[in-house]
Amino acid sequence: MGALVVVLFYGSILFCIVFATARLIRIYRLPLHIKWEFYRDSSVYEQVEWWTKPQIGFWQKAGAMMLDVLFLRDYYDKNRGFWIYLYTFHVGIYLLIVWHAWLFLVAPFVDPETASSVGLFLGHVATALAFVGGLSILIKRATDEELSVYYPPIHYVKWVAMLLTLASGFYAIYFYFNNETPALLKYVQSQVTFSDLEHKLHPPPATATHVLFASIWLVYLPYSHIMRLFLRYYHYLHDDEVPNVRGGEMEKRIGELLGQQVSWSAPHIQTGKSWAEVATTPAPKNTSKEQQAK
Amino acid sequence: MNEKRRALRNVSKNGDQSLGQVKREKLLSLPVEDAKAGAPPIKALSEKQRQTYEHAFDGVCAVAIPKPKSKEEEKQLVERFLAALQKLLTKEDNWTFLQQLILTLDACVQCQTCNDACAIYLASGKEEIYRPTYRSEVLRRIIKRYVKKGGNLFAALRGNDIELNWTTIARLAESAYRCTMCRRCATHCPMGSDNALITRELRKLFSEELGIAAKELHESGTVQQLRVGASTGITPPAFADIVEFMEDDIEEKTGRRIKIPVDKEGADILLIHNSGEYLSWLENPAAFAIIFDAAGISWTLSSELGGYEGTNYGVWYDDFQFGRIALKHIEIANKLKVKKIMIGECGHSTKATVVISERLLVGDMNIPRESCLPLLEELVLSGRLKLDPTRNNFPVTLHDPCNMVRLMGIIEPQRRILRAICPQFREMEPHGVDNYCCGGGSGFAVMSPMNFPDWKMNVSGRMKVKQILDAFADSMDPSIPKYVCAPCSNCKGQLRDLLVYYELTTRHGIYYGGLVELIVNAMADNKQPYISFEEM
Repeated sequence: MGALVVVLFYGSILFCIVFATARLIRIYRLPLHIKWEFYRDSSVYEQVEWWTKPQIGFWQKAGAMMLDVLFLRDYYDKNRGFWIYLYTFHVGIYLLIVWHAWLFLVAPFVDPETASSVGLFLGHVATALAFVGGLSILIKRATDEELSVYYPPIHYVKWVAMLLTLASGFYAIYFYFNNETPALLKYVQSQVTFSDLEHKLHPPPATATHVLFASIWLVYLPYSHIMRLFLRYYHYLHDDEVPNVRGGEMEKRIGELLGQQVSWSAPHIQTGKSWAEVATTPAPKNTSKEQQAK
Repeated sequence: MNEKRRALRNVSKNGDQSLGQVKREKLLSLPVEDAKAGAPPIKALSEKQRQTYEHAFDGVCAVAIPKPKSKEEEKQLVERFLAALQKLLTKEDNWTFLQQLILTLDACVQCQTCNDACAIYLASGKEEIYRPTYRSEVLRRIIKRYVKKGGNLFAALRGNDIELNWTTIARLAESAYRCTMCRRCATHCPMGSDNALITRELRKLFSEELGIAAKELHESGTVQQLRVGASTGITPPAFADIVEFMEDDIEEKTGRRIKIPVDKEGADILLIHNSGEYLSWLENPAAFAIIFDAAGISWTLSSELGGYEGTNYGVWYDDFQFGRIALKHIEIANKLKVKKIMIGECGHSTKATVVISERLLVGDMNIPRESCLPLLEELVLSGRLKLDPTRNNFPVTLHDPCNMVRLMGIIEPQRRILRAICPQFREMEPHGVDNYCCGGGSGFAVMSPMNFPDWKMNVSGRMKVKQILDAFADSMDPSIPKYVCAPCSNCKGQLRDLLVYYELTTRHGIYYGGLVELIVNAMADNKQPYISFEEM
């Protein structure tokens, strides 16, 4: 059983890395899109000869992205009743990331007996925020008709799994490690340095349970909203508001895409020709279709 | 399972019944007595229409899809729809929108934040099938189940529970014409999901693969435009007559004879109007001519086939028709050797020409293109035109065309002009990027098949009626003329129909028109007012 936990845990890490990388590559390879932005404020198009004026730059976009991600700004502006629960949960998750980073960075290099217990406190605060936020979201999702209307059942399972993961983490630290920083750091140290294989192959139920739940999350991660955020912001930073200037990189990319061969088969499209050929060739004269007859 | 959730799954069931229905008692209430109170909001289709066309979405017919004649035909249509879905998800066939389509399909977390942004959903009294996430979720579930690998695995648990049959497809096709693509919902989405893009991708799929599109957008829209020169049917000889008539009209109104430049090589600006202006609101292109002449602008119109028509309905339903028209405009501009293309008061045309087409243009085709609003602002605020604001001393409000404001970020020029020349200017609420669509967006303004006009008057346009009435709440006396300024041809078309339908002109003295008419009306040298409410 212990060995199975080890295999599942390291297997899930491998799975997460491989499939997340594959998804990132797929996102990276998605083609440039037609300009389809919208605006929350005045744009360069308000100016005469706008093409001679500076457009929104990378750092301006990156700043907006950071505000979105760190504060869930759109939820705050447009759905504050839900934002309070989401934000509690997300702050908890952000702090959990910091907490785990602290654990894995401190454990191998600092004497566990002298390490600050502030880290442990941070872990409890993070867990509590994520748990309270997650539970609130689950309850709200289940009881609010608007939030539940199209919410697939599997997502409720996801939230329950999240709460169990958090609870099992808290249980392991509070009861198995007696809420003591040195004991916890020694355990993490032995895990990351592979210095206690016996312990690794025969983990105690408290840590094994938490590791198993963590494995589920690692498998889910490549399909989670984190990837969707990457899809959203990668292309936002890379392509949005980037002008197409003559002889520029954007023009080169557009030229390649105009050469794509299309297979749409409606009568007004010459199937098999390139995108540019179809757009510059008049449609065949008889494009009236039975479906359009009135 | 509650009724709302059932409506999603029922999209594939009971193809002989309407999935939803517009009910008058649920419609958004107006601040004045509804001129149509007591009448059914949507006229029932005739028996022949019901037998001939699909109408099982909401009992309304916008696309007029003929009913399949046999089960075999239904099966073929389902197979073609599936093939089209697959094309929609490939780089070769859909590089234009693939990235954003995938983002929208993946990103929605069903928080329903967008619902309160949708004028149609709110005006209908929150009818479930008009929820902005409804059609997106139907399409999302179909793709997950029928296109993605392993879609049937734990299908019910994952929500992949919609059956794909002809009923589903016919309803999706009609549903794609119940959204004005104003994209207000997209600006409200915290995740970057764009339900209006789903609307467009559905319309595109039907057009580019199954040959199904609204007749007014395709056959008598883009096809006619490419064939005869304009979606209104105006041919080059007819356009020449219109220009001559316009010159006479200007002389009559202003006492000055202006020679309108046509096909003037090397002009700074090629000005392209929506051809609807020439047929329905000639005072608008005439006002442009008066302003440009007074300001000494180097400009020209084009009389070449397609050069006098700015509309590009392709933007609402078909990438290739969009591309063909956009490239035609560029070809004409290059032939005339103008420095830039300027689009008159037409929202979708401005967005299509200035912004969307940018990523189709390479080399010499990438000619500068801009909206007319920044130049008009410069002319008004710089003092190049001699203006007397007291000539516009009547209540004026501004309708923000979605395509120029929310979708291009041109928010302030038109307001700065109105503040300068209209002493009684007041904003609608909400306004700017938070405006509501007029209800005629995405082609609805020109679509009038069967009982669809009832729907666009009672549902898609109702929020705008409320906004207009609220803006003029302090002066509802019909003897006080009030002006809704709409710098967009399609919006004007919808406003014209709304004012008549709700009897807002006769009961409350509310009129509509463009922005340049107000500028010319304020020109101090004119002997008589340019805007005549008696003639409107």
